[in-house]
Amino acid sequence: MKITLAAVRAFLWRGTLFALLWWALTDGRPGSWAVGSVAVAFASAASLRLLPPVPTHVSRIGLLRFLVFFVHQSLRGGVQVAWFALRPRLALSPAIHEVGLRLPAGISRVLLANTMSLLPGTLSVELQGDRLCLHVLDASAPTETEVRTAETRLAQMLGLTLDTR
Amino acid sequence: MTIADWASLVLLVAGAAFFFAGTVGLLRFPDVYTRLHALAKADNLGLGLVVFGLLLKAPSAALAIKLLLVWLLALAASATVGFLIARRARRHGIEPWRAGDAE
Amino acid sequence: MNSLTLALAVFLLVNLLVALVRVARGPTPADRLLAALLFGTTGVAILLLLGDATGAPALVDAALVFALLAAITGAAFTRRAWREEAPVDDDR
Repeated sequence: MKITLAAVRAFLWRGTLFALLWWALTDGRPGSWAVGSVAVAFASAASLRLLPPVPTHVSRIGLLRFLVFFVHQSLRGGVQVAWFALRPRLALSPAIHEVGLRLPAGISRVLLANTMSLLPGTLSVELQGDRLCLHVLDASAPTETEVRTAETRLAQMLGLTLDTR
Repeated sequence: MTIADWASLVLLVAGAAFFFAGTVGLLRFPDVYTRLHALAKADNLGLGLVVFGLLLKAPSAALAIKLLLVWLLALAASATVGFLIARRARRHGIEPWRAGDAE
Repeated sequence: MNSLTLALAVFLLVNLLVALVRVARGPTPADRLLAALLFGTTGVAILLLLGDATGAPALVDAALVFALLAAITGAAFTRRAWREEAPVDDDR
């Protein structure tokens, strides 16, 4: 592996995260660092090898906005499904909806599929190319709008541009 | 009891309530997809509330980090596993239940 | 408040048992896979609450391992479970 500035930066950044993790796992016991420093160094090296640094532009404001959106929506999702479960009459009208994605191919689409499963009323059942199939609890809900919102939030967080045709 | 204690108590009890709703959904919902909705959403919210309830009484920052890590991992696990189960079920031709079908 | 977290842990344990009986009955293999989700959420919550109730912080570490395993085994298990008859190639 060529030693580039990006690799050194990634090594230091990941090393810091692994060190924090080690500190938390060992409850900050000072005696553990003899093993810990070796473990952190190996973990950082292994992570660089398994997941080489890629130029990403994760925006901090985007990340924060996504987190707020996510926590708010998963709260709504939990309340909604609890309401469906606990109300006396079972009033589900499930359906399968297919939505075309505007996110570029790759990990961001998988992230979107996983996110949709935790949002109110939607559950990802299939992802092929730029088509996402969702199982929805309420056939009349504006599923496509919800996917668009989640897409926009994800794209903002990852610094991606959406393919608007 | 301090305000933090009360807040913690409310969060923990609310968390348990969502786990209960998730279980009721699991028992009542008619097919694997709707049951996945119940588990993926209600149980995750339940765990989130329990984690934040315990976070308020965490005696050390190290424990707080561990609790947050548990929450993040569990979220990632349910989202991924939920999606994979649903995808497998669909690829194997398990038809979703529709309103009007017998349970 | 330790008695509260203990009571909640027992409550969740009953929840988990009822849910496990339900998923074991299926009827489809996909239903049984829901057990993986149950351990990843309810199981983890029980461990965390017990860790608080009994003052045994090691249980939080156990919960951490549970959550980690839920993420790893869940994905591996689901990919393998019906592989022999999978109609479509895995795209990841």
